[in-house]
Amino acid sequence: MSETRVPPRFELEPGSITRLEPEQLPAIVLPSAGGPHTLGLALSGAGVLIAGLAVLDAGNFVADQFARSAVLGWATLGVAASGFGLIGAGAWRELRGLFGLRKVDKLRAALADPAQVRKAALDWLATLPEGAALSGAVAATNDPDAITALLRAGPAATLRARADALGRTAALQMFAAAAAVPSPALDGLIVAWRGARLVRQVAELHGMRPGTLGTVMLLRRVLTGAISVAATEMAANTVANAALSNPILGRLAGDVAGAGVAARRMVVLARATAAACSPLGTNGS
Amino acid sequence: MRAVEAARGLLPVRRVVRIGVTGLARAGKTALLTSLAANLLAAGAGFPALPAFTERLAGRSFRAALAPSGSGELPRFDHHTHLAALADDPPHWPARTGAVSLLALDLTIGWRGYATPLPPRHIRLELLDYPGEWLLDLPLLTQNFDTWSAAALKRLDGRPEARDFLAFSHGLPATAPADEPLASAGHALYRATLERQRQAGLSMLQPGRFLMPAPGPQPPWLAFFPLTGSSPLAGLMEDRYDRYRTQVRADLVAPSFGQIDRLVVLADLLTALHAGPAAFADAAAALSDTARALHWQMRLPFLPDWMSGLAPLFGGIGRVAFAASKSDHVADRQRGNLANLTATLTATPHVESRAFAIASVRCTEDLVWTLDGRPISAVRGRVAGEARAGRSYPGEVPDRPPDAGFWQHPFLALPNFEPLRLTLAGRAGVPHIGLDALLTFLLEDLL
Repeated sequence: MSETRVPPRFELEPGSITRLEPEQLPAIVLPSAGGPHTLGLALSGAGVLIAGLAVLDAGNFVADQFARSAVLGWATLGVAASGFGLIGAGAWRELRGLFGLRKVDKLRAALADPAQVRKAALDWLATLPEGAALSGAVAATNDPDAITALLRAGPAATLRARADALGRTAALQMFAAAAAVPSPALDGLIVAWRGARLVRQVAELHGMRPGTLGTVMLLRRVLTGAISVAATEMAANTVANAALSNPILGRLAGDVAGAGVAARRMVVLARATAAACSPLGTNGS
Repeated sequence: MRAVEAARGLLPVRRVVRIGVTGLARAGKTALLTSLAANLLAAGAGFPALPAFTERLAGRSFRAALAPSGSGELPRFDHHTHLAALADDPPHWPARTGAVSLLALDLTIGWRGYATPLPPRHIRLELLDYPGEWLLDLPLLTQNFDTWSAAALKRLDGRPEARDFLAFSHGLPATAPADEPLASAGHALYRATLERQRQAGLSMLQPGRFLMPAPGPQPPWLAFFPLTGSSPLAGLMEDRYDRYRTQVRADLVAPSFGQIDRLVVLADLLTALHAGPAAFADAAAALSDTARALHWQMRLPFLPDWMSGLAPLFGGIGRVAFAASKSDHVADRQRGNLANLTATLTATPHVESRAFAIASVRCTEDLVWTLDGRPISAVRGRVAGEARAGRSYPGEVPDRPPDAGFWQHPFLALPNFEPLRLTLAGRAGVPHIGLDALLTFLLEDLL
């Protein structure tokens, strides 16, 4: 047995080499159905049909009007162009809202990269009203962790405090609404409306102006992020308790079933939205 | 046990889990701690740094952050400096640590399925750099002075490092008085012997606090040495030995150094294989004795033996991972043998344990090397200070304690390869082998 064993060996290869790179670890990929969802395809088709046919129909109508009279043709063209222009402007705003979300993702990735963190931090500070005060300190810091800590203690904390304030206001409104609305069936509608409005308010606080589609995307992200923000449930309770510490409101809270729960949800929603909109993510809180 | 852990997890409090990381000399504790922390932080940031650990999480959210030092007594493990040394170009190995230190990480783990909306669990993971020398004090807890002295003197017999001490010991009269000068002289000679043995690459060096004393002034009862017979001096040595054991026991439950929930015991068995049969037998004895001594916990004389199996329910070390380090210096095919060899040396009752072959910081890539016309699984790395690649086939790793035939062929020394480049300066994790499996085993009941 020992006679057939290959003797141990060590050899240096000729020529110098660069430092060895690690093998890429396989990323954990969740199974995907492949391609767009059925509902997405159907809705896209419907959208193309509605928009395309509307444009074609409007074009035909404008051509017909020109055939009748030049004045009528120009007037119809003006009306059609104004209408489609307004629709286009709305669509552009929606897209800008979506791009705003993507910008946060890019900024978040850059802040996680030690090579880009300083530039990303300065870029972000440039978009904030009080950012200039901190820019000097960030520019003078070399340690990526220290830069992140500065951002966390500075603008992220300010934004979180403002988001909390918005959440408190919404919580008080929800409380009052739940106490005033005669039908419990209306409660759900009010919560949905005020929640969507709160999401937009917090997004605007972070420099975004999400349209309807942007708000839906943001809500989806907030729902995902709310799992990690659930950690702040206790903190949110504290904020809500502070907001409802008025003795009369406290008494009412006991009398109106569900009012306190809805109010607390607003505070959590504000925090989750702030986490979704912040380039620091949940690390900012 | 699992139900208890699950119930604990539902409580809105932070659970503290302390993992003691210890090992025989030069086994790579600092590298392990640095890599473990960097990879946990990377996994928390979404990088695939710990595949087995992430798989175990099964889609649950996971975040990790370095915990602030707080007002604890222990020095903080300098993670950033050690990671920066590895990420540097050219890289440096983290400096050897000579003192106890602690690194704490806050882990946040979400729930899955219908439990997803529940608040996530918070676990504070404390990684305690436990002195490897102290590990070898555990076997003393189950040995009286006579047994320990006989075993220690037997180990020293014939060793060149112990010549002076043995001459002193053999020269003592059978009625040697309990004089302090005699005790001090014998202790100094024994301590010097242990120092020389450590330099010679031996591992079974007891008592451990002789080589790594606890912080603070040295108490007088520390001055003892192994001595057989019934002389007054032997009586004094026995008293001091018993006092030493009491201190070891007290340290094990002390809030600063003790209260360890899980333990990682590292051993550089590949270097021991290279050092020859005596060094390997010494390392094997150190590991085996430690493994046997690990059921010190809850070992009360009036309790039946089977009850010590319930110890984890009441605290104490619940899981022990024995890990052979530097496994990247042998090819993948041989890492299984290395893990099996470790398992053979460390079978321990009463404590849930498992053996691993790991590399905390990977330095090599595998290759098939044609030697003497035969394809051989080997490794290739960049030799530190040379900027050239080296191919290494140090020899076959046995899957059980090697027999006489094994030692006919030398097992080569491990080349000094430099670590692989760290992506994003270590923020995407540190390349490793088997660290994810080790961590998953240690935290399995909490995940």
